[in-house]
Amino acid sequence: MADRNIALHVNSLAVGLQTDTGVKIIDDISFELEAGRVLGVIGEAGSGKTVLARALVNGLSEPLVTRSGEVVFDGHDVLKLSDAELAGIRGNRIGYIGSNPAGALDPTVPVGDQIVEKLRSVRPDISKGSATQRVLDVLNAVRIPSPEVRFHEFPFQFSGGMMQRVMIVDALVTNPEILIADNITQALDVTVAAQIIRLIKELRDQFSTAILFISSSLPVVQTIADDVMVLQAGRIVETASPEVLISKPRHDYTKSILERLPRIWGKDITPPEANDAPTLMSVTDVERTYMVRKKGTFRGMNAVRAVRGMSIDIRQGENIGIVGESGCGKSTLTRLLAWLEEPDNGAITFEGRDLSKLSHRELTKMRQSFQLLLQDPYSSLPSRMSVGRIIAEPLLIHGTCPRGEIKGRVRDAMKEVGLDPDIENQLTVGLGAGDRQRINIARALVLEPKLMILDETLSALDQIEQSKLFELFDKLQKTHGFTYIFISHDMALVRKVCHRIAVMYLGRVVELADNKTLFERPLHPYSRALLSAVPTLDDHPFKTRDYLLEGEPPSPVHIPPGCSYRTRCPRALDKCKTIDPSARLLPGGGQVSCHLSDEE
Amino acid sequence: MYLLNFLVRRLFQGVIVLLIVTFAIFTLLRVVPGDPVRLIVGGMAPDEVVAQKAEELGLNDPIPVQFARYLGNILQGDLGNSFLRPKSGATVGAAAHDDPTRADRAEVLDLILERIPLTLQLAALAIVFALIISFPLGIAAGLNPGKWQDRLAFFAGSVFVSIPSFWLGVVLALLLSVQWGILPSIGYKGFEYTILPAFVLAIEMSPFIIRTLSVSIAQVMQEEFISVAPLRGLRRTRIVAAHAIRNASIPLLNLFGIQLGVLLGGVLVIELIFDYPGLGRLTINAVLQRDFPVIQGVAVFIAGLFVFINIAVDLAASFIDPRLEY
Repeated sequence: MADRNIALHVNSLAVGLQTDTGVKIIDDISFELEAGRVLGVIGEAGSGKTVLARALVNGLSEPLVTRSGEVVFDGHDVLKLSDAELAGIRGNRIGYIGSNPAGALDPTVPVGDQIVEKLRSVRPDISKGSATQRVLDVLNAVRIPSPEVRFHEFPFQFSGGMMQRVMIVDALVTNPEILIADNITQALDVTVAAQIIRLIKELRDQFSTAILFISSSLPVVQTIADDVMVLQAGRIVETASPEVLISKPRHDYTKSILERLPRIWGKDITPPEANDAPTLMSVTDVERTYMVRKKGTFRGMNAVRAVRGMSIDIRQGENIGIVGESGCGKSTLTRLLAWLEEPDNGAITFEGRDLSKLSHRELTKMRQSFQLLLQDPYSSLPSRMSVGRIIAEPLLIHGTCPRGEIKGRVRDAMKEVGLDPDIENQLTVGLGAGDRQRINIARALVLEPKLMILDETLSALDQIEQSKLFELFDKLQKTHGFTYIFISHDMALVRKVCHRIAVMYLGRVVELADNKTLFERPLHPYSRALLSAVPTLDDHPFKTRDYLLEGEPPSPVHIPPGCSYRTRCPRALDKCKTIDPSARLLPGGGQVSCHLSDEE
Repeated sequence: MYLLNFLVRRLFQGVIVLLIVTFAIFTLLRVVPGDPVRLIVGGMAPDEVVAQKAEELGLNDPIPVQFARYLGNILQGDLGNSFLRPKSGATVGAAAHDDPTRADRAEVLDLILERIPLTLQLAALAIVFALIISFPLGIAAGLNPGKWQDRLAFFAGSVFVSIPSFWLGVVLALLLSVQWGILPSIGYKGFEYTILPAFVLAIEMSPFIIRTLSVSIAQVMQEEFISVAPLRGLRRTRIVAAHAIRNASIPLLNLFGIQLGVLLGGVLVIELIFDYPGLGRLTINAVLQRDFPVIQGVAVFIAGLFVFINIAVDLAASFIDPRLEY
């Protein structure tokens, strides 16, 4: 015991509500955080993770209040310190990084100035010049390219991943003894999240900081933590090393978390198999470019090439996944597929008919056959309309259904998606995310479509709701013969449900393959990089250290000539600089665009 | 580069706005009933004198021709001459038609330039007063939504917005000037004559500033970068002073651009009440006397001021928040 160096000692901490003395948000939390080690905390949404993180630095805001317990740091109870005494500790000796890097800094002040401001606020003895130098040094240490330039840029000019690096700098610039990382990878793409985890690991060795690593994803915590605490409804139910926790979980809650984790690799996994079927929708060389005014110029325009030469055939009755990082053109593609926007070039045909050649009336009729399901279940439903009316709306618009039958159709659709038909006269207020998505599905379902386009439709839901909706989608597919397009960044999800998967990079498909091939024998180096970043407890065939990329995709304004991926490709050849690889068809119906695969 | 681009674009838009405003005012003034020539030469003048004068002033030409001539003169810095005011200052008698020659009548530009410093002084002082009243109330309310500071600000705002400025002006003049003799209130003989009218104007403007400030401060305080700032190690005073007020000042600046109209409208009334020799009194007298060139000149001048200040406001806002690019 004596040689352990305890950085933070938490003793039966409890947090409640000011307004109600009976409620405890977190209760009876006790643990020790050892210097130089990483303590993981895992829990689902609403388990009190963020409350715990904030309580540790006496940073709770109304209506939350600490009820009992102590947080001992350097011989003092942090909870009993005055604001003046806290000022020397918070942000100085205890660093904090939150889950939303985009909102963490004042949008109107350059990031460098804000870190200098923070540094000088907690260390008034540092001169402005040396504070600036220190910030630049740490920006360099987290590998932010050209730190001297980025120092003077504003938060909105940073991508999520770069901004999270900035926040890491903000926390580490004072060389704190403790770092509290509250779900820092949640808002990021898997590839960027994996980079951030790798960075934190390196920095831990460099700065010898004790880290409290809070996350909702066990696979993520597992890669970094020395010990893991499981938080359920505000209490710690189990603490163990990650290996023990995964192989011999003791608490039922831990077991249920493990059971619900999506499996990606392993002998017992049987992914959906692709079948040959006639083509339902065909996308051929579709392009979409947006012109946006160039900042700081008089008439200069930037061409944002969001989708450039996208081709894909969607087969009847299949689930096809389209995956890629933020900014790869997924959202633009969604709008094109749903024909909310027309492509600049190329064609989209549905059941053999070119959508651009249809008359207005034919198009409206055709639209019944392909329906879009949106990501955010809250903003996609009108809040002042009753549930029944929302679902009846498409029938009223298309006018294909006699007025008298609408009510029956709506109730049937509600029953089919698992909603209680008696709520048809209620407003959507108070309905959970899952039920709201059911309304969305019912709204699409009444038109009896053939194709459903799912734009991250399930990403706002928790694991339990997700699997229930999967079952629903499956059932609807069997009864109605639906075709689904899953547009997603969630690799575990597409692994579970999609027959075929297309990987997008900078507005184009770089690889298209059936599920099994893509996950087990991908050909494109980008597919491997994407897979290597997927957090999983399974035996990972693509090790992060071998395949993970640094940096982020180039901007769609400045697409590199030749193969657009070569700037990040670890194995780029000379000819990749000049020759854009064309899609090569593979046996089994897949395709890949890469010079390397041509040679193999 | 950004600045130049911004200024060129906005000034071009501003000129278009000014042209439209000028044309509208010019046309309206010419279609309303009432013959200005009769006013100039006097009621007793024979008809041929009236006709001769109208010809001399170019009032018989079609309106577009008159407008083109007017624009040409404006470009040379000539806003025309008053119909009625001689250079000496006194208004000419109504009945006599053998009044001074046209050359002796005052130039509109001179009339405006002579009075504008006083009006600007009044407006600037009113804004200073309004900010002094509104900032403590609005910021305290924004930082404590739902508490007594919020209610106080709401109460003060409701009272201020309900008090008619002409009543407040008269009451304050009665108390401060007549009863206690602290401040002068009628006419203008020095800076102290500005204080009372400026204060009345400030009371008229402050409810809007208080409301905007308290709402936008309360909104900014909900932002994540404010709520994590203490965890990052920033002190509360610093958070409020350097970040909350900075972000909340953008809606305030925009409000200011709009409020300018209210301010100028208020100036007209207040100047009349306090007999303050500014642009407002000049305008009202000109309207009463149908002194077209003066009305036009003032209107064009104010429109120009409006456009200019709104460009300045937008520029200031985009300096505070670089995401706003106009």
